[in-house]
This record gives sequence, C-alpha cells and structure tokens, in this order.
Amino acid sequence: MSDDPPAAAFAWRKLLLRYETLLLGVLVAEWLFFYFAGTTTNRRGVVVGFGTIDRQFDILRHSCEIGLLAVALTPVILTGGIDLSVGSLLGLCAILFGKIWHDGGLSIHAAIALTLAGGALAGGLNAVLITALRLPPLIVTLGTYSLFRGLAEAITHGAVTYTDFPGSFLFLGQERCLGLPTQAWGSLTVALAIWVLVHRTTVGRSLRAIGFSPEGARYAGLPVRRHLTLIYMIAGFIAAVAAIIYTARLGQAKADAGTGYELFAITAVVLGGTSIFGGTGTVHGTMIGVAAIAVLKNGLACLPAVMRLNAAEEMSGLLTGVLLLAALTAGVLPKILSGRRGRLPASAKT
Amino acid sequence: MKFFSRRLGLLAVLCLSEVVAATAADSKLVVAMLPKAKGNAYFLSAKGGAERAAKELGVELLFDGPTDTNAAKQNEIVENWITLGVDVLAVAAENKESLSTALRKAQKQGIKVIAYDSDALPDARSFFVNQATPQGIGYALMDEAARLCDSEGDFAIITASLTASNQREWQKHIEVRLREKYPKMRLVAVRPSDDIKDQAQSEATALLSANPNLKLLMAISSPGVPGAAEAVKQAGKAGQVKVIGLGLPNENKRYVHEGVTNSIILWDTDHLGYLTIYAGVALAKGELKAGATSFTAGALGSFEVRGDNILLGKPVIFNKANIDLFDF
Repeated sequence: MSDDPPAAAFAWRKLLLRYETLLLGVLVAEWLFFYFAGTTTNRRGVVVGFGTIDRQFDILRHSCEIGLLAVALTPVILTGGIDLSVGSLLGLCAILFGKIWHDGGLSIHAAIALTLAGGALAGGLNAVLITALRLPPLIVTLGTYSLFRGLAEAITHGAVTYTDFPGSFLFLGQERCLGLPTQAWGSLTVALAIWVLVHRTTVGRSLRAIGFSPEGARYAGLPVRRHLTLIYMIAGFIAAVAAIIYTARLGQAKADAGTGYELFAITAVVLGGTSIFGGTGTVHGTMIGVAAIAVLKNGLACLPAVMRLNAAEEMSGLLTGVLLLAALTAGVLPKILSGRRGRLPASAKT
Repeated sequence: MKFFSRRLGLLAVLCLSEVVAATAADSKLVVAMLPKAKGNAYFLSAKGGAERAAKELGVELLFDGPTDTNAAKQNEIVENWITLGVDVLAVAAENKESLSTALRKAQKQGIKVIAYDSDALPDARSFFVNQATPQGIGYALMDEAARLCDSEGDFAIITASLTASNQREWQKHIEVRLREKYPKMRLVAVRPSDDIKDQAQSEATALLSANPNLKLLMAISSPGVPGAAEAVKQAGKAGQVKVIGLGLPNENKRYVHEGVTNSIILWDTDHLGYLTIYAGVALAKGELKAGATSFTAGALGSFEVRGDNILLGKPVIFNKANIDLFDF
C-alpha cells in the first residue's frame, strides 16, 4: 500500500479532509491566536496570561471533569441514545463520597470504591429502564437527571457541604504528578480505555450498528440489550470518577456539583463530530472537541479586551455556541455544495 | 489563499497592538474583586464603592464572579486571575475551604489576598474586612429598639432557627446590652422562623395575639423582617407595634414607606467595597502590615484593625428618611 504513491496520496488526502483533522486545525489556530493575543508581561515583569505553562495545566485541570463526561457520552450517543443524567450523577456521587467518608467513617480508598460502584449502579438504573422497559433514553435520563440531583439535595438537605478532606486525597485534584496535573493521568487512562472499546473491539462496532439501526442490529444477532446496559453503566461509572476528581480539585463536595455539565459534555461530543442520531463518531474527535471548548473559554479570559469587560464567562458561552453552529454548518456544507455542483452541469446542458 | 494569509497577518498585528497597549496601561496596579454572585444587588453596591476607591487610587479594578453562587466557578475565576498575574485579590468566599486552596496558590506567587464580606481561612489571606462584629450588630439593634420604645416595655425577637450560630451570637449581645442599659425593657419571647418569610409571619401573628402589651418586634434574620411587618400590618397594629430588623433595604422599602417597619439595620455595602480596595492596595504597596491597629481609607477616614480583621465599624440604620438612597 505504502509503495503505491497514488493510493498513499489518496489516503493522506482522506486523512487531511477528515472532520477530526479539520477540527484539530481549528484547535491549533485557536491556541496560536490566544498564545499571541493573550500573553502579556505584567508590572512586575513576569510573563502572564495564556502563554504560561501554569495556564496550560489549568486548562487541563478544568477540562478533566467535562472531558470525562464527554468521553462517557460518546459511545452512548454513538448508539443513538443520550444520557442527560451524568451531570446530576456527578453531584450525587460527590455527595455519596463525602457522606461515606465523613459520616460513615470509612477510609478514603473504601469511599472511592463504594462511590464508583454507586455510579455504575446508577448508570445501571438508566440501562434497565431503557432496555427492559424500552423507554426512550431521552425521557429516562431526563427523569434520572432530576432524580439524582434531588437525591443529592435530599441527603444534604441542600445545606451540608463536605470539606476537610485529607491532603493525600486533595493531591488527586490539586497537585502535579510526573509533570502533569494528577487528575489528567486518570482522565487520559479512562479516555484511552473508551477509545479502545469504541475503535478496537467488536463491541464498538456493534455500538455503531445499533446507532444506525437498532432493529437491524437485533436481527443481525447482536446482543443489543447487553451492550446498551454496558455503556450506560460505564457512563455512570465515569460520572463517579469525575465526581471524585471534582471533589479533590475543589476540596468540597456539595449537592450542586456538576450542574449543567451534561450540556457542556454533549456540546463537546457533537462538536467532536459524533452524530446526535448515532452511528458515526469518534472518541478522539470528542477529546479534540473538549479541548477546543476549554481553550476557547480559558483563552478568552486572557484577552485584555474581554478582561476589561469582565465578561469572560458570557463571552465564552456565546462563542462556544458560534463554534458549534459553525462546525455543524461546515459538516453539512460540502454535501450541499457537491449536490449543487452535481446539478449545475445538468442545468448547463439545457 | 493569499488573501486569507494577508488577513490573518492583519489580525495578528491588530492583536499585538492591543497587547502592547494593554502592557503600557498595565503599569497600573491590578486589583481583582470576586463577589459571591456578580448580579446580586448587595455586591453591586459594594462594587460601586470599590470603583470609586480604584479611581481615587489610580488602580485598575477587575470585578467578576459566578452568575449564581457557585464555589467551583469562584475557584476557576481566581485561578484565571492568578495566571493573569493580578496584584491583589479581594474575595468574598462562598465556601471557605474550597476557595482557600486557590488563594494559597495565589499567595505563593506573590499575589496579596484580602477577604471581605465572607472570610476565607486565615492562612489563605492577609486581612479580612469585617463588615460587622456580632457586638456591633447586637448593640445597634438593642439601642434602636430602646430608642423607639422610649426604653421601656415588652419586645420579642424573631430569629432564623434556634440553633443558627450567627443569630445566637447576635442575640447574646442584644441580651447583654438589654441587661446593662435598659432595665425597664423586657424580652418576652424568642421565636424561630427557619429563614422563611411565611413562617416568620405566622410566628409574629401568634406573638401579637399572645402578648397584647407587645411594643416592638425585632427580626434578626433577613426574611423575618418583611414577615413580621406583614403580620403587624394584617393585625391592623401598624405604628402601635413597632418593627425593626436586620435585612436588606430593598426587601423592606415598601413596609418602611407604609409606616409598618420603623428601621432596618445593616452595614453600608458601598463603604465595604471602598474600604476593601483601599486595604488591598495598601497591602500590595506594603503600607498595611500585620500588627497594624488602625487603617485610613481615603474619604472614609480611619478604621480600627483588630488582629487580622479590619472593622467596617458601626452598622447603618435605614429608615424612612434615608432608605431610598440605597439600592441593594
């Protein structure tokens, strides 16, 4: 294959024109823009802003939780499903973890293990409702979205905040390990595992088949229910991982943890090129999507003009929306254009 | 393609010129102020004072916070400011422990940290601008009650819950003041309202019918004040039973103008913002050091410093005459 120049060139062109590659280009352009426009030297002569290594680590730290949820949602959306409950489950797991450790008097390790099990179990509840009762995922997880958040608030009466975690636990979210923020290692490991599952196993292939046609997949003899159960449980498990990281990063567990994160995660997945109707999408695309949003959000906060307006938050929400809509448009534009081009000669003939 | 690259080049030049402009202007000290929620009228009023102070001192003020109270967002904003290399952080902590982790990081990088309104952990900030001591609040409430009742007669307190730590502290000082200065006044009851207006109203109604000689209701949780006022109004006892309390002027304006509520007691949030910025800048310039016993803040004059607390001083009394001058 490689000694056949035209075929190799074709493969290269295909790779370059792939959606993920283009998105990566956007990410790099974005990064370079903020690097040049958002780096300054302050009064004390110190280089500050976007171009500092601390800043890059902050971006990494701040995108771990949403990144994890987005990675968890990718296989779910691949099957044409959705899980709106992951943000609420993050909150519930954070509370669960705080409660088990603080009130239950168990060790941090035991609390982490129980929380992860709890997350998987909650994901299992979604799975059972979806596969056994054949309810639409959107409706089921809309229900559990309220249920999980409500439980978290009920457990804490909306008032208790768990704090005073030991330093060895906070290390997970606030310190560096082998040159990277500690939680980045955990998140990357989870992402890699999901990447292998989706792109290198038969399970991953069957998830796409389910996304294209659930009935077809069933008739083809694929274990649709079992695979759906698996990915919703994984989503719950990963939400629990994100909850642990979130708690360690802030040093507090409160019932409002992760509010609205599910929407950020879905945005990243869709921006990453996964079709919301299922069937197509990649985990690496999702990760580039997460990075593109995180860089945009953090970069904007470094621009002197935005800083003076004190509106980094609002601006990043607005531009994330623009970015997503632009990406969606760019996705369908070639199809529309080629359709028109196909028609053009025909009309020229007459 | 060429067209695009030229355009990009132009864009880059534009951005660079902006950076240069910003660096030139950045020779000013930069103070970043974090509220608990940036749309909250209480903090907007503090921002007004902070802006005035920043103008007088010739420093640049950044004011940003979560749109609703959110500890996680507070941390992200502070971490953003750290990498932007601001000189001073002035913060109102939503959650002590979680914000303090970010503040310690800031201090390690030489950024001066000052807390206002709601304190961080002592090791994570240099000073706390304390808006009101429990004693200041308790004494002001009791003095105002005595003034309205001519220092004699029965009164009752509506509190948040019987276990709320702030309220218990205030109540202790109210009782001390009562014993020491107003022997002819009598505290007949203390009732909880759980920080709910409706409950404060029903408790107040019960108090009014059980104590026909009651001269004054004192609500020491902010939802309790309009609740007590509504009860007095519906019982047709406006003016006969006086209402005072600790609350926000805007929540009580209506009752004050109707003559049901006599006075609202709170600190001046505008001054709180002003003092915070003055103290923060003095800290960065090395003019305010640990061990100071007083601090002078521009037009507002001198303030007492007790340990690492800068005291805003006496609370303000809002009544019919001045309540419209305040908007929070």
